[in-house]
Amino acid sequence: MQLEPRPRPPLGVVFDCDMGNSIDDALALSVLYGLDGKNECRVVSISTSKPSLRSAAMCEVIGRFYAGAVSGAFSAAGRTLPTGMAVKGAHPEDTPMIKAVLDRVGADGKPVYQHGIEKLVDTAEAEALIRNAFTSQYDQNCVVVITGPATNFRKLLELPGIKELITAKVRTLVVMGGKYPSGGPEYNVKLDIAAAKKLFAEWPGEIIASGEELGEQVLFPVEAIDTKFSWAANHPTVDAYRAAEKMPYNAKCWDVTAVLQAVRPKEAYFKLSEPGRIEVMDDGRTKFTVAADGKHRYMILDPEKKAAVVEAMVELASAKPVVRQRRFRPQNEQKKEEKKEEQKKS
Amino acid sequence: MITKKALPRRTFLRGLGAAVGLPFLDAMTPALSAAVKPPVRMGFVYVPNGMDVRNWNLDYEGKLGQLSRIMAPLEPHKEDILVTSNLTHNNGRALLDGAGDHGRCCGSYLTGVQPRKSAVDIKCGISMDQIVANEVGHKTRFPSLELGLEDARQAGDCDSGYSCAYTNNLAWRSETQPLPPILDPRALFERLFGADAGLTPEEKAQRNKYRRSILDFVQEDTKRLQTNLGPSDNRKLDEYLSSVREIERQLERAEKDNAQIDPGMPKPYGVPADFAEHFKLMTDMLTVALQSDMSRVFTFLVTREGTSRAYREIGISDGHHPLTHHQNQAALMEKVSQINTYHVKQFSDWLGRLKSIREGDSTLLDNSMIVYGAGLCDGNRHNHEDLPTLIAGRAGGYIKSGRRVVYRKETPMSNLFLTMMDQMGVKVDNFGDSTGALDGLALS
Repeated sequence: MQLEPRPRPPLGVVFDCDMGNSIDDALALSVLYGLDGKNECRVVSISTSKPSLRSAAMCEVIGRFYAGAVSGAFSAAGRTLPTGMAVKGAHPEDTPMIKAVLDRVGADGKPVYQHGIEKLVDTAEAEALIRNAFTSQYDQNCVVVITGPATNFRKLLELPGIKELITAKVRTLVVMGGKYPSGGPEYNVKLDIAAAKKLFAEWPGEIIASGEELGEQVLFPVEAIDTKFSWAANHPTVDAYRAAEKMPYNAKCWDVTAVLQAVRPKEAYFKLSEPGRIEVMDDGRTKFTVAADGKHRYMILDPEKKAAVVEAMVELASAKPVVRQRRFRPQNEQKKEEKKEEQKKS
Repeated sequence: MITKKALPRRTFLRGLGAAVGLPFLDAMTPALSAAVKPPVRMGFVYVPNGMDVRNWNLDYEGKLGQLSRIMAPLEPHKEDILVTSNLTHNNGRALLDGAGDHGRCCGSYLTGVQPRKSAVDIKCGISMDQIVANEVGHKTRFPSLELGLEDARQAGDCDSGYSCAYTNNLAWRSETQPLPPILDPRALFERLFGADAGLTPEEKAQRNKYRRSILDFVQEDTKRLQTNLGPSDNRKLDEYLSSVREIERQLERAEKDNAQIDPGMPKPYGVPADFAEHFKLMTDMLTVALQSDMSRVFTFLVTREGTSRAYREIGISDGHHPLTHHQNQAALMEKVSQINTYHVKQFSDWLGRLKSIREGDSTLLDNSMIVYGAGLCDGNRHNHEDLPTLIAGRAGGYIKSGRRVVYRKETPMSNLFLTMMDQMGVKVDNFGDSTGALDGLALS
């Protein structure tokens, strides 16, 4: 049952990544929290398809950096948004960017960045977490962003009743994966071909794909790392950036572009292909076929918008965390104050 | 005693309008044949208003060692319980339906679905105990038993627009039909042993007039059976019938006491004024019902969800529900812990009785799986993850108890129920919001 006693909250975003495999995921999550801070969306689920507690821990570090130990979306219940994690999958190993963040200690010998993930039971079953996030969203007020292998969604799509739930709740799935109009195999698809095949074949709603060819043309300017984040003495995304590749480098933004498309479609940062169908071949190559009734499209770089995209990425990724009040509390406080004033007058 | 022919499991002692089931006797196992395993019983003991989780939670996994303050009364049964953590009922959460966590948490507890927010147009789901009862209930006299200790109102708004049907029932026969718990010990007694079906009003009046024991009515049948049983079975039968007689005495005492006590509140006839006594009386009868295989499935709503019952028996005159909204005030939290511990104490005492009943090489508790838990985690926060839950008994050897198992966050409570249904021989692909069977119950 869906009651609508109040205006709809901002768009809910389900974010599934492979945090640690490239700096792009960290940048994408930072941009997402930048959008969250502007009330353009709410991060309602974070999960990683990289089967690594350290990958999940890094997601949580970034989440806590922006939203606090008790995240905004769940502050009413006084709990932290749990991080979902795949238990099986590709590349479980640690990477330099994960080490740079999780192993960094301060002068007191304590970790600079806090998280609560030490054991498997500190993470969530990703498919349950994502499904549960859908259930708490208003109809068509949720988007999904996948920036890693679709491993977690393979399991999600096996849950009973999930396709009806997705149809009701999810406006769009934006997935970083594949090469368009045809090519590959692209990295994310190749890491879990079976999951990608299932995702493109069975996802019941609209899919917009951010292809390998797009992200290679959109670069995060390394100068911004030194200049735009200076307000923070310690910033996990900055530490990760510096460790991920040999500095200086401009990071390719496959994942950040997906986030921008998902949350700001009206900005039309990217052109979209005609509707059609994306098919994943057995060897991981992707092929787009135009079809009037197709639910799939892929993103195309618009040279005229490229500067605006980079500007938005930098501004959002480097935004300061926003401390959010508990929902509706300000109004309640205001009412209390008004009542007090009335009593005084009477 | 060796017999070629086994006594049927569903033998009853019969008399004038009365039928008393029998416990599991050696004579029910045919000698020189494959051993017959006692049946597995499944039940749920639900406590309301969440828990003071500071004093419930354990800070370790694996083998049970030092129990938490609230679980401390279970110390004698530490090897017989399995404590689980992180099980979640997502459908108890608001999910856009606003306030009403008490209504939702109880309504969704065994159904796994989110109840419709309405005080009149109720809709929930068939509860898992009833799915099991529908499948295995034909093997026993009662497919399931529903017990409670407080308030069986079925109409009205009990929590922010949620019907009392949600807060006052655990078992649901269908989406719209809850099965109200029996609260009155006399009513339970008559349902189990009683006689309403076979007695004329005159006969019933005669029986009540003379206050004869129900055992008197089955005396002839008892004697006949005793001559065919070995010494061990005769001892078991004697103990069993003595426990039935003791329940009758308790009922008589309760009814006599009630005539002299002004409880200051409406109270059904025959209900003991003391909480612990009421709990014991109901569970004594439940024990007999399980022992004699009258039923293998039960739900026990200790008190209604959201209850504001006071516990003057232990010196707490504040209502339970208001206390749980303690806003972290130490004095109030202390009282919540005391109530939680008091409930666990009654449960523990009952487990002791279940454990004392032998069934072949095992006990009645060994052959049971009884979930003790709450539909809210912390009553102050109204959260629906990490629900306080433990399972007493070994389900006939399946559950390796004496441990605490911590599951991954958001693991559906429905996964536990799916596994329990499987242990009862009911195979379903999914239930509620389950994502699969629950691992870890059988691991050593």
